Amino acid sequence: MNLAGMRTYRADDVVDAVVVGTGAGGAPLLARLAAAGLRVVALEAGPNFTPERFAFDETLADEIYWTDERLSGGATPEAFGANNSGTGVGGSTLHWGAFVPRADTRDLRLHTETGEGVDWPLTYEDLLPFYERVERFLGVSGAPSYPWDAGRRYPLPPVPRNGPAEIMARACEARGIRWADAPAAVVSQDFQSEDGPRRNACINCGFCHQGCRTGAKASMDVTYLPYAVARGAEIRAEAFVHGLERAADGRVTGVVYRQDGEDRRQRCGAVFLCAGAVETPRLLLNLGLANSSGQIGRNYMGHVATQVWGTFDNEVRMNRGYPSSLITEDFIRAGADFAGGYLIQSLGVVPVTFGNAVARGRGLWGKPLLDYLDRYNRLAGIGINGETLPCDANVLTLADETDAHGMRKAHISFGYGTNEDRLNAHATKVMRGLWEEAGAEDIWVLERVAHTLGTCRMGRDGSSAVVDPHGRSFDIDNLWICDGSTFPSSLAANPALTIMALSLRSAEAFLAGRA
Amino acid sequence: MSEPEVLFCLHFLGGSARSWEPLARALAGTPLTCVPVDLPGFGDAAGTPGYSVAAMADHVAESIRARAPARFGIAGHSMGAKVALALARRAEDGEAGLTGLTDLILVSGSPPSPEPIPEDRRAEMLAWIDADPETRRREAQAFVRANVGDRLDPETEERAVADVLRAAPAAWKAWLEAGANEDWCRRVGVLRTPALILAGSEDADLGPDAQQALTAPHLAHHRLVTVDGVGHLLPLERPAALADGLRAHFDDRPRRPVEAAPTVAPDYAALIASERVNGRLRQALAERAAPDDPAYRPAALDPVELAILRAALARVMPVPHLDLAARLDRRLASGAGDGWRFSALPPDADAYRAALRTLDAAARAAQGRPFTTLDAPRQDALLTLCQRGDLTVPDALGGRLDADRMRFWFEDLRADAVRLWLGHPAALARIGFSGIGAGGDRPGEIADGLPGFHAVGLDAPEPWEPQTLQTEAGR
Repeated sequence: MNLAGMRTYRADDVVDAVVVGTGAGGAPLLARLAAAGLRVVALEAGPNFTPERFAFDETLADEIYWTDERLSGGATPEAFGANNSGTGVGGSTLHWGAFVPRADTRDLRLHTETGEGVDWPLTYEDLLPFYERVERFLGVSGAPSYPWDAGRRYPLPPVPRNGPAEIMARACEARGIRWADAPAAVVSQDFQSEDGPRRNACINCGFCHQGCRTGAKASMDVTYLPYAVARGAEIRAEAFVHGLERAADGRVTGVVYRQDGEDRRQRCGAVFLCAGAVETPRLLLNLGLANSSGQIGRNYMGHVATQVWGTFDNEVRMNRGYPSSLITEDFIRAGADFAGGYLIQSLGVVPVTFGNAVARGRGLWGKPLLDYLDRYNRLAGIGINGETLPCDANVLTLADETDAHGMRKAHISFGYGTNEDRLNAHATKVMRGLWEEAGAEDIWVLERVAHTLGTCRMGRDGSSAVVDPHGRSFDIDNLWICDGSTFPSSLAANPALTIMALSLRSAEAFLAGRA
Repeated sequence: MSEPEVLFCLHFLGGSARSWEPLARALAGTPLTCVPVDLPGFGDAAGTPGYSVAAMADHVAESIRARAPARFGIAGHSMGAKVALALARRAEDGEAGLTGLTDLILVSGSPPSPEPIPEDRRAEMLAWIDADPETRRREAQAFVRANVGDRLDPETEERAVADVLRAAPAAWKAWLEAGANEDWCRRVGVLRTPALILAGSEDADLGPDAQQALTAPHLAHHRLVTVDGVGHLLPLERPAALADGLRAHFDDRPRRPVEAAPTVAPDYAALIASERVNGRLRQALAERAAPDDPAYRPAALDPVELAILRAALARVMPVPHLDLAARLDRRLASGAGDGWRFSALPPDADAYRAALRTLDAAARAAQGRPFTTLDAPRQDALLTLCQRGDLTVPDALGGRLDADRMRFWFEDLRADAVRLWLGHPAALARIGFSGIGAGGDRPGEIADGLPGFHAVGLDAPEPWEPQTLQTEAGR
């Protein structure tokens, strides 16, 4: 993004806040704090890209993924990198899918409802105004009336239904399942970002996950970050944070980062860690901070994200159009033998991502692999995003190996429990049924885990949680965490919209605390 | 390429310059002159010190410089072949006096990697070389006889035995204890010099399989010829066959193939060239479409491991004219990973090396042959075991990764292969992928007026979109 003319601060200026990470967690609060007149500096580990780089190619997009190595273990090892972790000014929103369902009311009090999982220390009503603010600001496109929430209105009409969406709609109709055009943080009409660029209506190129060339997708670099810079925030790219300076009372006084090969520091009144549910706990564990609860790294969660694929008689050409343009939330509560639920989305995937899934998940190789890839233009998929309960066995720890900065790498152990297995079995049956209904041949199931959540859970009690319901550390009162790591449970919804809503909520709490 | 003026000939362990006399006679009347060299510790050089591979190579380099031929070949037999390969690396690196090297003739060669001599045989050979004269004579004869297919004629055998007895025992032992074990695999790397590799069908340790697995990976342009009925001492056993082999080689050297790369269908090439495709992508596609260097010198793997990887990838992703193994090695060497690895596996490059060695050890355990020499069904059978998590290797054979780890590695291999393939324009053309045409170059941060796709629903391709393959598989 364009950072020319940006206000800058000196290292010995005591800025009001340093924000570590410029993705869905960091950008909204950076914008809000800057708008409130605070002196704020964001430190981003990755480079500052401009959309001119984005070249409609998966391999060239490697540069926007977080490719510092993580060790993945457990019964269901999760893929990182392109699967869920980004780098660059804008963070993972440079490559995110921009699929923005809201959390379901019931998911926030899952324990009360089912005795499983945990309740969030806040309610849907607490989040609702922030959801609406974010949706308006980003220009979310969606169905004019949302079947599962009568009052909900999206600012923009939906993006067009692509091939897989048409197939899924047909199948849902036949099976009596409600469906809707998906809520997408992609503008279906030209849209002027407030104090940001004019964003062109989506051209249906299908490369959301490789960086959006037209500004249609609401990545932070075309939405909250230009707004923040316009209001006096400074963003420093290629600044990798690896230390926190503290006063005798334990409060944070500065942030230490590596930039251009040297260690630098920025003095500050508060720090917001917004580096995601792997890097945030990794930093704190490496520093041995804010962990009197012993909860940092615990309850790591990825979503159950199983997909079902099939071959159709139609020319689907699934690379065209917004990739997940249809949704059903009918299974957020399936009335089955598991707590929580899942949403289903239609899927179009570009070739390398698809080939990777086929080679790993279907296990094809040799001529059968080449033959199957030849069907590319006739394939379509559907997939879920499903609840994962917090669990003791799923944990992020530090590996013995260190990275280029001398920091120990993250080791993530993740596996499904009984609840996830039951949910997965149910969802797989439903999706198979839909694809059979739609006339698919050669149906197969791709087991997949998505997103990075948990590890610094929020709660009401500092003995069992890392941060309070506003994201503030129980141990260090000027240290805040604002990203997927604070999620006490995974929710069925894709997380980014909720992360942004929580980010604005944290900003309001921070501002209120100063008033 | 014209013929070399001279062929420097390097003998086997226990041989000497005399070992090449039968070949010289067989080549009489041809323009090629044999210049046999006694290696340090052998023949007339029995008193010369310096038994390491490097020292022997220095010794030969002096002989070459002394003669200063404009163009020359090197023939190396067994031990001499390892010296020849070391010299060839120096020649290709431009060392003064060696740059006229035109050909390598490797006869039952000891490979750059440590030579696979069974320990009991090594111990036996070390034991008798210092024994009493009668034992030495008896064992020397047994040594010569053990290394041939059919018995040599008495006169040839007598001279061979005499050469063994002439050798400095220290040189003999130095080769068995050190020289043969020296690891030159990475140092030799991959050579461009055209090479003829000859193997005897009856050679116990350095026959065709060993040559295929351990020598051929170092030679980008080679032909491997097996001589039936011959053991380890081809220059003594069948000098006429060796001479024929040389003539055939010089008549038709193994050459760099015509720049080979997968072809991109013309319609798709036209799409790439059109303004629908942006310049950065067009350039990247051109780079990916460029032919691979047949003499690619691996950086993460060694050449032997690269050959195993090529063989495995030929099964996993059977696309001709594309050296996915070299491309994968380059990525491994760059350290640019995909952001994660299975925690059960070591870092990517180490995992690949260990897994490829394990796969090869499994081939040797199951089939008694290196992986690269197995036919496709047998290679597939081993890879299927990898996939199932059932590939086990006896520790004695160098099993490095257990069955679970081999399963993880094989998953990574499949993913790495498909990623490299689907980045190639020939692959995108083959599957009829239209996405590259969604937008070309536009000035400014945010692109205005890109074409994208207008109709995105079913059965509504735009006229410019590439055809979907109408093959059976494409259905």
